[in-house]
Parts: sequence; C-alpha cells; structure tokens
Amino acid sequence: MSIVAKETIEVIAQSIGINNLSDDAALSLAPDVEYRMREIMQEAIQCMRHSRRTILTTDDVDGALNLRNVEPVYGFTSGGPLQFKRAIGHRDLFYIDDRDVDLKEVIEAPLPKAPLDTGVACHWLAIEGVQPAIPENAPVGVIAAPSNGNTHEQKDELPVDIRLPVKHVLSRELQLYFDKITELTLRKSDSALFKEALVSLATDSGLHPLVPYFTFFVADEVSRGLNDYSLLFALMRIVWSLLQNPHIHIEPYLHQLMPSVVTCLVSKKLGNRIADNHWELRDFTAKLVALICKRFGHVYNTLQTRLTKTLLNALLDPKRALTQHYGAIQGLAALGPNVVRLLILPNLEPYLRLLEPELLLEKQKNEMKRYEAWRVYGALLRAAGQGIYERLKIFPPLPSPPGHTIWKSKEKVVTAVPNKRKASMEPLEDEPALKKIATDGPIGSLALVTTLAPSGQNDAGQPSSSEKKTANRVGKDGQTLKKSAILNQIWKDDLNSGHTLVTLLELLGEGILSFIPSPEISATAAIVCALLSKAIDLKL
Amino acid sequence: MQAVNSFVAAYLKKKGFKEAEQLLEDLHSKDSAAPIDFHNDPDLAKFIHHFSQSEDEVARYQDGYSKLRSWTYSSLDLYKHELLRVLYPVFIHSFMDLVAKGHLQEARTFFNAFHEDHQLMHSRDLQKLEGVLSQSHLEEMEFARSLRQNKVNVKICQYSYDLLLQYLHKTQSSAMLGVINEHINFQATSGQPGSISDDIEVVTLIGSCQDAANQINQKEIHWGLLEDSLEERSEKEGGLLSDSEKTEGENKEGDAEESKKRSAEGGKQGSSTKKLKKDKAVNATAKSTRLEAKTTSSAPRVKPELTLPIMSTEVEQSILEDLRNRVQLSSIALPSVSFYTFLDTHNGLNCSSISHDGSLVAGGFSDSSLKVWDTAKLGQQTGGATLQGENDSTSSEHVVRPNGVKRSYTLFQGHSGPVYSATFSPLGDFILSSSADTTIRLWSTKLNANLVCYKGHNYPVWDVQFSPVGHYFASASHDRTARIWAMDRIQPLRVMAGHLSDVDCVQWHANCNYIATGSSDRTVRLWDVQSGECVRIFIGHRSMILSLAMSPDGRYMASGDEDGTIMTWDLSSGRCVTPLMGHTSCVWTLAFSCEGTLLASGSADCTVKLWDVTTSTKAPRNEEKSGNPNRLRSLKTLPTKSTPVYSLQFSRRNLLFAAGVLSKKV
Repeated sequence: MSIVAKETIEVIAQSIGINNLSDDAALSLAPDVEYRMREIMQEAIQCMRHSRRTILTTDDVDGALNLRNVEPVYGFTSGGPLQFKRAIGHRDLFYIDDRDVDLKEVIEAPLPKAPLDTGVACHWLAIEGVQPAIPENAPVGVIAAPSNGNTHEQKDELPVDIRLPVKHVLSRELQLYFDKITELTLRKSDSALFKEALVSLATDSGLHPLVPYFTFFVADEVSRGLNDYSLLFALMRIVWSLLQNPHIHIEPYLHQLMPSVVTCLVSKKLGNRIADNHWELRDFTAKLVALICKRFGHVYNTLQTRLTKTLLNALLDPKRALTQHYGAIQGLAALGPNVVRLLILPNLEPYLRLLEPELLLEKQKNEMKRYEAWRVYGALLRAAGQGIYERLKIFPPLPSPPGHTIWKSKEKVVTAVPNKRKASMEPLEDEPALKKIATDGPIGSLALVTTLAPSGQNDAGQPSSSEKKTANRVGKDGQTLKKSAILNQIWKDDLNSGHTLVTLLELLGEGILSFIPSPEISATAAIVCALLSKAIDLKL
Repeated sequence: MQAVNSFVAAYLKKKGFKEAEQLLEDLHSKDSAAPIDFHNDPDLAKFIHHFSQSEDEVARYQDGYSKLRSWTYSSLDLYKHELLRVLYPVFIHSFMDLVAKGHLQEARTFFNAFHEDHQLMHSRDLQKLEGVLSQSHLEEMEFARSLRQNKVNVKICQYSYDLLLQYLHKTQSSAMLGVINEHINFQATSGQPGSISDDIEVVTLIGSCQDAANQINQKEIHWGLLEDSLEERSEKEGGLLSDSEKTEGENKEGDAEESKKRSAEGGKQGSSTKKLKKDKAVNATAKSTRLEAKTTSSAPRVKPELTLPIMSTEVEQSILEDLRNRVQLSSIALPSVSFYTFLDTHNGLNCSSISHDGSLVAGGFSDSSLKVWDTAKLGQQTGGATLQGENDSTSSEHVVRPNGVKRSYTLFQGHSGPVYSATFSPLGDFILSSSADTTIRLWSTKLNANLVCYKGHNYPVWDVQFSPVGHYFASASHDRTARIWAMDRIQPLRVMAGHLSDVDCVQWHANCNYIATGSSDRTVRLWDVQSGECVRIFIGHRSMILSLAMSPDGRYMASGDEDGTIMTWDLSSGRCVTPLMGHTSCVWTLAFSCEGTLLASGSADCTVKLWDVTTSTKAPRNEEKSGNPNRLRSLKTLPTKSTPVYSLQFSRRNLLFAAGVLSKKV
C-alpha cells in the first residue's frame, strides 16, 4: 500500500543485522518509512528554497536530516546536481553512475586546478528602462520601436497600442564600431587586430542593428573590389563571423549577402596578381556557402535549389573560364555528397571530355591554363571521391564472409592504394609528375585491375555475383529472413555505389580509390572486383 | 433481543470468530435465565449495528464520493463551480476519515482514484496528504491536525445549497452527509451564485479557523507613516518655500515651526548657515519634492511605538541630499538598473544583499562564510554604479578584477552553518547574517569584525531584516516564530508565534510599528511590534511565500511565492488588491521604488520585472470593482543572461540595484 514495499523493509532490516523481522512489523514499518521520507524531502525542499535554488541537491537532504537531528548520509556530496542514468530495460529505474576510484590513481594524479575565487561583476541591466546591448545582457530580440512619450501618455487613459514606423536609431558606439571594422577591413585586413575584430563580430551580442550596414558594406565592396584579393577574403571572413554570431538574426539580409558571396565563389577573376591565391578564397567561400545552406536551408527552401542551379550553370557552360568551373565544383562539393552524386557525377563524363584537352601538354600550350585545368581536375576528383566516400561510409559493417583468401588479397590492395594516393595527390601541385601519371593513367588503372583481377577470379569459383553468395551464406548461417532482406537492400545500394565507383574509376583513374575508406574497401571490394572484371572483360 | 442475538452471531460467524461465537452461544444458554436487556440499552444496539456495518463503510465512502462527484459534474453549469468547491473538502476529509478508521489500503486507493480532480488547485496540499499513512501521522502532521480540528467555510448560494441537501437526502449516502456535517460550514447567501474567482478561501484551505482570521483582520491598524520623518520634513520645507515666493510671513512662521520641532528633537540641528544652504537647494528642487508631496501627503501620520535611534546631523544631511536628487519614477520614467553578478560561486551562494547606497554587496554562502564586496573597488565601471554618474559609463563594461593574489572582498567567518540571509543597516555600517547554526551575527563593516552573536532561535534562521531606522531587527526561523531584536540586547525583545509552518521571510513596515512575515503555511501575517500580536492574516497564496515588500507609504504590501505569483495587499482591509502574474518561477525578491509607484521583482526565471503599482492599487479604488481585475500591468521585463535574481534594492535616489548568480546551464 505504501510506495515502500515490504520486501524493501526486510532487505534493509537484514542489512543492519535483523534477520527475523516479522511480516507484521515490516508491513507496519513500510508506511512509516514512506511518511518519514516525505517529511525529510519536504524539509529538504525548504532548505533548497532558502539556498535560492530550484534544483534539489544532496546538501539540502543533509540539511534536512540535520534539522531532524539525524546523522547526514555521507559520501554523496557533489558540487553540482547528480547525473542519473536510466537502468537498461527499466522505464523508471534510475541510478547514479558511481565509479570505483582507485586511490592510487587519485594520489598520483596531478593536483586539479584550484577553482576560481568568487567575484562580483557589475553592469547596467537597464538604463532608464532600456536594456543596453552589451555582452553582459541577454540578447535583445528584435529592434523595437524607440519608446515615445506620446504613446505612453495615451496609455495612461486607455491601453491603445499605437505602432510607430520603426525609426532606426544607431547609437554613437555602434557607429564608431562600424567605422572601425570597415576601416580595418579596407586597410589592415592582415593585422592581428582584424582577427580580434572577427572574434568580436562572431560573439558580441549587441551588433544586430549593424547587420544591414554590414551586408550593404560587403555587397558594395565586393562589387567594387573584385581585383583586390585580400579585401575580398577579409569581406568573406566578415560574413563568416556574422554567420557565427548567435545573437544576430541574419536571415532577412541573406538575399543581399548571397550574390556577393556567390560572386567570390565563381567570379572569373579574383584579384589581379598571380600571387593571389584565389583558389583558397574560392575554397573558403565554398565552405561559407555550404554553411549558409545548412543554417538557413530549412527556412529558405528555395535557397539551395537556386544556388545549385547557378553553380551548375556555371559548371556546364563550356564558355566559362576554368576558374569559374573550379568555384562551381567546390561550391557543389561543399553542399554534400548527395549534391555531388545528383549533379556532378552525371555530368562527369561529358565534362571530363571537355577538360581533357586542357590537361594535356600537347594540346594546351598555355602553362597557366593547364595549371588551372589541373586544379579543376583535382577539385573534380576530390568532389567525386568525397561523394563516394560518404556513400560508402554509411554502410553498416557487414558480417565478413569467411573467404580468407580473398580478403588477404584485398589487404594487399589496401596497402597498395595509400602509396598510390601519395603519388596521385602530390602531383596535383607538381605538374610534371602529374603529367606522367596522367599520361599513364589508363595503364595505372590497368595495372590495378590486374592486381585485382586474380582475386576476382579466385572468387569466381562461383562466377555469379558475390552478392548472392554472401546473402546465401548469411541465410545459411541461420540469420533471420528479415536481416537477409535488409542485407539484400544494402547490397543493392552497395552494388549501385559499386557501379558508380566503377564509372568513376574509369573516368578518373585510380586516384579515386584513395577516397575509399579501408574498412569499406574490404566490404565493397568484392563487388568492385567482380564488376571491374566484368568491365574489363567487356573492354577487352 | 432475539434479533440482536442472531445478528451478533451472524456477524461473528462471518468474521470467522469461532471462539467468540462459541462463547456467545454458551453465554446464551447460561444467561437465558437472567437476560441482559439489550433492548433497553440502545447505545449498545447502535454500537453493534454500527460495527456490523463497518466493513462496507469503505465502500460507502468510495461509493458516496464518486456518486457525489458525478452528480456535481452533471449539475447545472450555473451552480456547478459552487458545488465543485464542496468536493475538495469532502474528498480530503473522507480520505482522512478512512485513514483514521484504519482502512489504510482503501484510503490509498480512494486517494489515487480521485486526487487528480484537485491536482490543479491543491497540488501542494495533496502532496502533503499523500504521505499520511496511519493514524499517528494524522496526529503528527500539523496540517492534517488543523484540518481535522476546524471546519471549512464554504460560501455557496442558497439554491446550490438546497440542491446539495436534496441530493444528500435523496441518495441517503450517510457517509457523505456525515463528512459534510462534520467538517463543512456552509454560508448560504441569497441571490446569484458567485463567480469563480470571487472566493479566495476556496483556493487555500488553511488549517486555522477562517473566522479567527476574519476576526483578526477586523483589528485596527495604523498604517500611516511616522510623524516627523525626513521625507515629510523635506516635503514641508519644499512646500513652504515654494509658497514663500508669494507670502513671506507664512514662510517665517513655517520656519519657526520647523526650528521649534528641531529643538524639541534635542537641539541637534546644524548651524544656521548650513540650513540656509540647504534651504536654497530645497528651493531649487522644490518642484520635484512638491510633486511627491502630492502623492504621499494624504497618508495619515502615526507616532512611533518604539523608541527610535537618534540620527546624526551628517546622516540627516546626506539623506536629505539624496531625497532632493531622487529621480521621479513612474510608468513613463523607468529606473536604471545596475546589476551585480556573482561569478564562480560553485553553487554556494545562498543569499545576497545590497546596501542602501549600493556601495556594498554581501553574499552569504553555504560554506558558512559571508563575503562583502566594496563596489567602488570592483574596477573602473563602478564609477557608473555609484550614484554620481548614472548615465555616463555604459561603455567599457568589461571587468577589471583586482590582482588575483589579494582577495577582492572582505571575508567574515564565524557561522557554523550555511548563511541564509544577510541585511545591511540603513547606513551600511553593520551587517546582520542569519544561518543554519540557529544564530544571528552582527558584523561591522568598518572594523571588519564580528560584534555580537544573537542566540535565541532553536532552528535555522531563514531570514533577518534591519528595521528602516536601524537598531532593531527581525528574524524568521524554521522554529515557526519570528522575533524582534535590538542590537544592544542579546535576547529577543518579542517572539511572534502563530504560523503553522516555517516562517520564511520577514519585512518591516515603513513606520516600524509592524512586521510582516511570510510562511510555508501560505499565509502572510502582520504583527504589532509593540504588543507582539498578530493583527492581520493574508490568505491567498498557493505556495510557500519567499519574499515580501512594503510600500513606502505604508499602505500596501507585496508578497511573492514559489510559483511566481506576486500579490499586493491592502494592509487596512487585509484584502488582496491584485495578483500580479508573469513570473514562471520562484520570486526571490521584491522592492518598491522610493515613492511607491513601481514594484520591482526578481525571480529564478532570470528576469527582473517592473510593475506599475499605481494602476494596480489606485485605479480599482476609483472604479470600485467595475473594471477588469487585471488593470495592473507589467511595465517591463528585463531578462538577464541566465542569472537568477537574488536581491533588489532601490537606492534613495531611485537607482535600482540587483544581484544574482551567473548559473551555467547544464
């Protein structure tokens, strides 16, 4: 009848050495135990309230026990609220995660940092009823209309709420702040002070009124300063910082910001000197674009589609400069593997055909152009590789089939690949070597195939696809049908990705393999091998 | 006779008392010669009859209650809410009857079956009652005992009353009839049924007799301000001087009157030159003080019942200076708020207090220490926190802590338990702190030392407050008493007993003749300091009272509770003027602005709210119940950055100081 069960009383009695507690005694003790517990909790709540807290702590319970002249329960004091864990399998059973502590460990551990001493800080919560926008105050939501004496006078008679047109008043401090920031951006964007300014932009709470000014500033300067690489980079950094600031409500200004950001991504020319590393700027901007899409994609549902359309147009237009293509690829790649899979991969083949002449020494004599082409090629490789990597990563670890011989040979492949990656990644920066690889690209892939092919043939004891085999094996192993169905689905997906991978392999050479995570290789390599062997058969 | 016998036999058989049955039969055969006249002993028969019924008694309660409940819910809409009021007392008394009769199991099932109906209105009472599991608990628990001893008053219109009686007679449910007869006192009123919000007594079932409370509230109280207070004097001066521009003679007369008063006080007034200066200054600000005079001059004046400490001239001067420079606050002119944030307290800060001029901030900690910060030494920005430059240091707000080696505060150690409350004397030269070690300690901020330890309470002292004039102070404790002390006596001067549960907070009336106490029994009481009698009981809160504030004109009082409700009370009538809803968590602190136009409240929901008290108190009086009750309004909500507000203090110049602990969200 009480929440304390009779059995509990018996257990407690046993724990203090009373073994033969009669049932009646336990039964009549139980309700009293509950009553006492409630009493103590009531006192503990009193103590909590007088400690100006809203969370009950063990100290409060100790205080309550003290009030009742009961020895406190030792060993539960902790600085903060206790962390309870739910017992697995029970819906409403919780326990405190109390680890055994090795005394030796505690003694040998370095002294913990001394806690900071209590201090008092002072700030203005309000000045004549208006909260100043300083970091110490909670962020003010929206710009409110400045209070006007007239409305209040009327309010005294009747609570009529007259909305005045929003008068935008920028305080002197904010004006100064804005001037300082813009000056820094324009003049000294590589100074340490500018970095501080970016941190301030990313964290300060009172900056919301400045957001329209900043957006305008960015748009203005981007359109004006396309030749000034460092300025553009500084501007993009400002946008980045503004996006980071949790107190700023930047959504309404996005439509003004986006054009300038996209400009910095796919503009034909950014900066006017050769030394300007506009690639880096494009990479940074691509990240920025992805951040914007991630943050506001759900609010502006057309944002991403519009953006991808712009980027895709830039990519597919053969008349555009390679730098523009590069920006578009980076932008699309930053938007995630799905975008890559849906938009880049289908266009990969025709595009590569377009790109190929630019890559080759014989056909493109202009060193600069060729360099650009290789940059684009690198970006494509990376985008496609990342896409396929993400794709493969989502597969759950599969029960590894017992074909040891196969996996051993796979391991060989795995170990072989990293070397090749090194070989294929470095050349991206280093043209001659890259040329070499590229020229013998087909041969390289052939060589790989030959290393793979035997394993495929080993496997081809049963020449059908290994998918079926594994599924069968799993079935044999007594797994439930459901699981094998799931497995089938996974294998199907896997097969698809395998196909994609094969296409990629055909298009981009073995460089793509470096993007396949090694555990996944073992999982997918079987199919890839099978498919590859098929593909090679066809080719041959 | 035969009938009774067979009845008893049947009963015993049913109960399985074989031996008793045997015995009875034996008795029968023996006694047939000399039978006891059962018939002539109606009491016995009744007793037996009653006894035989006892096992279905439980069912009768449960049945009766559920029938009454469904009848009530299906009754006419117009009368439903009145009848619903009856349900709750019937419910808790039925439950307690069941417990008292020993049907514990059944009582529990009964409770579980029906308690949800009342959860909304009476959750805290139910929580308490739920734990009652045996007769002894009923006797032990103060709340249950007082409920059992007293009748509940239910105001109900005549027709509802008739309906209820009809129902009870018709259904013959004697259990319900019994409960209602025993524990409910109907006050049938003719006319229409009242509105739901009309009757606060329904909301709180206070153990103490309602009649007694009503009787107590009949007592006369003198809520007026003290005669000859400084405010009054400055008003008078201002008024006289502004008049003096027209009539010179009157001015002289006033002056003479004033100086007479002063000489009566002990001939301590300053030299005439000083006064001349002051008069000039007063003249300059006469307008503002006169404005204020309009609002407060209506208050009647009373004589102090305590011997008040004598104020030195310098202090008087500084206070007058402050009064002259006071900012007039109203719904259009909101105060500036300076916020002191405690950092790195490691969950240890229990209370904080700010001196009247905001120059000192004290914090009481759970590690028994009391720490006092001098805000002038906090860093550059305190130049803004002090009174002079109120508006010119908003920028450059970052905190420059004094070098880490030296402590930035004065540490007062002496208590041996968590410090629950601290209060500054009006001049800021003393601090009182109360602790769980049952003592109150007096500290000097000048000497940085403990001066006196006051022992008297037997349990933790939850709250301590200096009187507005200093010297006297009041304390509130877990031992259910509030006590009045003087600084120079180590024994309390008065002990106020009467609350049914812990006294959680205490506050002085502006004229020092009364103190108010708020308690966990959800009442606020007003006590006469001189006689030690309870002169008012304010009933209406639904949970523990955490904070109290008295309006400077002495007429109103505000109290804040655990749920976030703030109620303003008219002291003379003992009625609630208006509840102020808005906070979502405990209201830790309340403060009236110096001229009583604004009320500030600080809460655990990390906000400071400013309320317009003029509309909440004065408007309804003019309109007299015609308008909507929610006339008062929250003027402004000032959210802090995850900092629950522990204390608020208006300076004499109407700058609002607030303090709280920065609590990181887990």
